[in-house]
Amino acid sequence: MQHDDVIWSVLNGQFCSYKQQKSKTQIFCSNEYNLTGLCDRRSCPLANSQYATVREEKGILYLYMKVVERSHYPKKQWEKIKLHENYIRALKQINEHLIYWPRFIRHKCKQRLTKLTQYIIRTRRLIRERRHEEKAFVAANIDRAIENELLERLKKGTYGDTYTFPVNAISMDEEDEEVESDEDEEEKEKEQESEEEIEYVEDFDESDAEDMEDMGDDMSDEEELIKSIPSSKKRSLEIEYEPAVEIPVRGAERAGIIYCYATRDSVADDWHVDKLEFKGSSQSQRFLFYDRALRRTSSSTEKLE
Amino acid sequence: MAASRPLVSVYNEKGQSTGNSVVLPAVFRAPIRTDIVNFVHDQMRRNKRQARAVSDKAGEQTSAESWGTGRAVARIPRVRGGGTHRSGQGAFGNMCRGGRMYAPLKVWRKWHRKINLKQRRYALVSAIAASGVPSLVLAKGHSIETVPEIPLVLSDKIQDLKKTKEAVGVLRKIGAWSDILKVYASKHTRAGKGKMRNRRTVMKRGPVIIYDKDNGVKKAFRNIPGVSLLSVERLNLLRLAPGGHVGRFVIWTESAFKKLDALYGTWSKKSQLKVDFNLPQPIMTNSDLGRLLKAFEIQSVLRAPIKRQARRKVKKNPLKNISLMSRLNPYAAVQKRRTLLQQLKGRRTGTTAESKIAARKERTHASLKTKRLSGVNLVKKTKKQQIGATTTTTTTATKTTVSTKSS
Repeated sequence: MQHDDVIWSVLNGQFCSYKQQKSKTQIFCSNEYNLTGLCDRRSCPLANSQYATVREEKGILYLYMKVVERSHYPKKQWEKIKLHENYIRALKQINEHLIYWPRFIRHKCKQRLTKLTQYIIRTRRLIRERRHEEKAFVAANIDRAIENELLERLKKGTYGDTYTFPVNAISMDEEDEEVESDEDEEEKEKEQESEEEIEYVEDFDESDAEDMEDMGDDMSDEEELIKSIPSSKKRSLEIEYEPAVEIPVRGAERAGIIYCYATRDSVADDWHVDKLEFKGSSQSQRFLFYDRALRRTSSSTEKLE
Repeated sequence: MAASRPLVSVYNEKGQSTGNSVVLPAVFRAPIRTDIVNFVHDQMRRNKRQARAVSDKAGEQTSAESWGTGRAVARIPRVRGGGTHRSGQGAFGNMCRGGRMYAPLKVWRKWHRKINLKQRRYALVSAIAASGVPSLVLAKGHSIETVPEIPLVLSDKIQDLKKTKEAVGVLRKIGAWSDILKVYASKHTRAGKGKMRNRRTVMKRGPVIIYDKDNGVKKAFRNIPGVSLLSVERLNLLRLAPGGHVGRFVIWTESAFKKLDALYGTWSKKSQLKVDFNLPQPIMTNSDLGRLLKAFEIQSVLRAPIKRQARRKVKKNPLKNISLMSRLNPYAAVQKRRTLLQQLKGRRTGTTAESKIAARKERTHASLKTKRLSGVNLVKKTKKQQIGATTTTTTTATKTTVSTKSS
């Protein structure tokens, strides 16, 4: 028999597909017509043949009503009444339509109306604010402002020797900078590369990470050579250097940091390691143990050793 | 069963209402007993099982013998012989590797269940009744929001359909297609070993089409996922309440719908097609409990509700409890005060018994003190000593008198 109590006893006791028990204290109802959202004798849209809700569609609020007489016609079950935009008028409408209805439903409908109007106001405000933001952002031309700021700082020399960009090739620098900021991951890849390339260096006999002291003596000449070149000339000689990647290493004798310098011709090209320097934790000087320019190539006869 | 029997309109294959309508069969007013449905469904489900067992010989194909005690090994039977890993290993026990399992499964396990005819029929009738309640069908999970009426009755033309394409068209027109879409959406791979046992995909159940005469319906509808087909004469609880839960979406054909009254009877008339069957009597004719309790007939006979119940009082002793005493005897307070005052007065003047005792004590203390100070022998003469002094004299006197008497 189509009695609400029978239906409720089945839904509550046996099975209801809308029942959601996500927490131990509260049971929720996922039925879209539910007034309170809880799985409750009074709130169940299925177990109450006379029921009403307020729902929102595209910013417009509607009052849905269901009566016993239409209970067997699912297609026509819900009567949809558009509520007034004005909140107070909408309240009056609810009072009018649900005049002799149970107090609970009337009250909850009004509560829901309130909450939904607040929600609508909030979403409208958010959309408006977001649009304003976008426009302001576009107007501010932030990218360009950042570019200019960074260039100015370069010119002033606030970065000193760390970035040795030729003052002429400004556009290339900008590209590289952007690339740097984006790809930290690539630097990590570089780390792995450089560790592999340490093996190359064994040809040199001067680059054992373990025999640092010996190496230090050997390399100190070259170091000094490089250091003796006055800084101004360094700039003009210029190959583009990227900032160093620091790789902490640890060996049997001591620990330290390997500084890796690399360049690449363009964004699509691979990184080429140019310089590898080692600095022990207790030492003050860096020791160059790999220099790309000095590597032996089978074809060429340019041995700068 | 005083419930009314409304008219249900019949719809054609285009989803429009034909002029015809059928009186709602009495089955739809039968009590919905989910407990019976659950039980019967559970029992019925076991009837499709195929026997499975473990081989009789499994784990027993050894001639293992226990080595007994004294060999510093556990006493389970061990495999005889030598020359292989297997020799000396434990055998036969369920705890042994390669041994027989505990309680080896036997084929003669009771796989099928007998269910009482009445129970079976009751369950079926409940399931049919539940299929006529839109809320229950919704709660089951079918999307029937676009269906024109529940119970949904279609004209007999459906029974003559031959092509699945036409069948799909019909389902669309009557608003049942959304349920089928749900079925499509629910298709997924089964969890578990069923995957490799030819039960790979699982999906939801859609509508069930109940027909009277199969002139092609079955073949037309059977390939549509989720759809089940049943003949009215042979309704299956496993299809009407899948999972043991009532409320499957049912699509009836007109002649099938009309046959229900003959099949299950109305309460006033027995079933014609089933032997000795009539619809089960509900325990409550009117099950709207809320309405009943508010009804005048019941309210007029009830006593007023006890809003505040008087509970057992703890008895308090007025002799100890001052407030209770004053409640019982207001003069008691006055009396008490008066005696108190007298006592206080007496303490100062020495007229009360207590004060007299106290005064005496004081005096003796004082006299003892002075005696000590003056050096008087304060050895205490006990009463016994005093008595002893007097008794010795008396005994001699008696002796003389006795002697004279004898002579």
